Amino acid sequence: MSDVTVAGGRAAWPERLGAEGAWHPPDTRRVLQLALAAIWLLDAVLQYQSFMFTKAFGQMLAGTAAGNPGAIASPISWDARLVEHHVVLLNTIFATIQLLLALGIAFRPTVRVALAASIAWSLGVWWFGEGLGMILTPSASPVNGAPGAVIIYALLAVLLWPSDRHAAAAPFTAARAVGASAARVLWLVLWGSLAYFALLPGNRTAQGLSGMVGGMADGQPGWLAALDNHAASLLAHQGLAASIVLAIALAVIAVGVYLPVPAARATVVLAIVVAALIWVFGEAFGAILAGGATDPNSGLLLILLALAYWPVRKPPAVVAPAAAGSAAREAAEGEVTP
Amino acid sequence: MMGIPGFILDFFAALMLLVAAVSAGRLVLDLPWRRGVMDVDIDGAHVLMGIAMAGMLVASLSTLPNGVWTVIFAVMTAWFAWCVYRESRGRGTRVLVDSHHAPHLVHSAAMVYMFAALTAPAAGHGSGMAGMGGASGGMPTLAVPVVAFIFALVLAGYAVMDLDRLSGPTPHGSYLAVPASTVPAAAALVGAAAAGGSVSAAVASAGPAGTEGGVSTAAAAGEASPGKPAGDGGGAAGSARRLLLDPRTAAGCRIAMGVTMAFMLIIMI
Repeated sequence: MSDVTVAGGRAAWPERLGAEGAWHPPDTRRVLQLALAAIWLLDAVLQYQSFMFTKAFGQMLAGTAAGNPGAIASPISWDARLVEHHVVLLNTIFATIQLLLALGIAFRPTVRVALAASIAWSLGVWWFGEGLGMILTPSASPVNGAPGAVIIYALLAVLLWPSDRHAAAAPFTAARAVGASAARVLWLVLWGSLAYFALLPGNRTAQGLSGMVGGMADGQPGWLAALDNHAASLLAHQGLAASIVLAIALAVIAVGVYLPVPAARATVVLAIVVAALIWVFGEAFGAILAGGATDPNSGLLLILLALAYWPVRKPPAVVAPAAAGSAAREAAEGEVTP
Repeated sequence: MMGIPGFILDFFAALMLLVAAVSAGRLVLDLPWRRGVMDVDIDGAHVLMGIAMAGMLVASLSTLPNGVWTVIFAVMTAWFAWCVYRESRGRGTRVLVDSHHAPHLVHSAAMVYMFAALTAPAAGHGSGMAGMGGASGGMPTLAVPVVAFIFALVLAGYAVMDLDRLSGPTPHGSYLAVPASTVPAAAALVGAAAAGGSVSAAVASAGPAGTEGGVSTAAAAGEASPGKPAGDGGGAAGSARRLLLDPRTAAGCRIAMGVTMAFMLIIMI
């Protein structure tokens, strides 16, 4: 490549200028924000599927009212009827909102607005679209997505908020915005609730988990159906033992963030492994491959969340802008410390 | 059963035609005295992909038979694979994140997959697809849907990374926050390099502002291409030209293409 090429045109993209003018790689939090944006983007395109433009989408929403208290269920039923009657218009709006959230998080000047909007949107969807993740029903289980995938989007938006109020003492990325104590409490509550759900009576029955995992095989590609069926047969008649083991693992994960760094790392790894197992076997990748899924379900989000809690050796120091142009850089990042 | 509303498919098809038109405009502006200035391979790929995807989305826009498109995109994939291989020397897997050509490799490979794995009744009819609107009464589907899912994830990842870069910082500031004063510096960069100077020398003479990154440089390229004075092509035509040659335009095309491709892959699972 000639120098002319480099300077005149291909230099147009950052990496073309070589080391001096190279693209400034994002930090860990920004990488996690981008992963969150990518998942929102995936959600958006899932929402554009043909199934979502049918009355079946409204009926799916209505199904989340079942088992919930009346005060929760009635608005869900009302919303579901509304969606059924105006499914094309409303679903187009839903999908477009999610697309804008994805693009907004990825575009640095709008990251704050988009993250804030994603929290509001997630809370709305958690109620009207997921029936509060079914946490108030006896059928809640960490294996089928409780406490609701979408509430984890909101949690991630809070933890990945571009603020460095607590950066100086942050032992992991999730603590930078809200502080280590608050971040640890949020982790404890989330994983602790998962441990609790694992021990609900419905999950302790002999065939509870087996039926749940086996039920995910319907409509999946052959290899995934075989995986689910195999896992279901392993769990057959082992519901109580499997629930207890799962609950213990989740409880260990829940307290892991309070342990010394090596142990905390081990529990984060355990969290990633458990979340991956839930995502593959319990959720069949959110049933995306079967069609008709609205999101990748909770497993993928739990993995992303765990990565935000990976302990760092040294808490990142808040560096005062020194180099020329750093103020503009921070403004563009949307990460100026308040 | 009702499918995806036609206006959504029409919108994405129009977006792809716009990408194709913009990329074609960029190719046309790659005049002989500026040959090599633009990414001819990338813009050319965008033109072809835009046309092919519009044809997949809307039946009436289909052009070539599926088999021909498959061959075209297979060749394109091989080319971009070669480019990525060249860029990867000594850089390892990092090239997948910051390579100039890696996203285009994924885009073209996804196109090969889409045309090769299509299992709709209309597939293989020889004159393109029936379109996703269901001209043949049903939505086309893709064989081995897990591949579609993986491609969609990767495309979504590249799209958000592109948006991040578009708005992100360089060691000398933000691409968005480009003050007007950087343009002369970048023009000097272009001119120096065109005159045979090395890039590093040109960068050094341009100063920090000139190393701002692509935007200011490319804006300057539009204004002061070698052999043409700065300010040439003022007015509406000049503005349009600068807009077309702006790297943000190319990045926008890439983002639009990635999002549309992810959309198509998912709705055909």
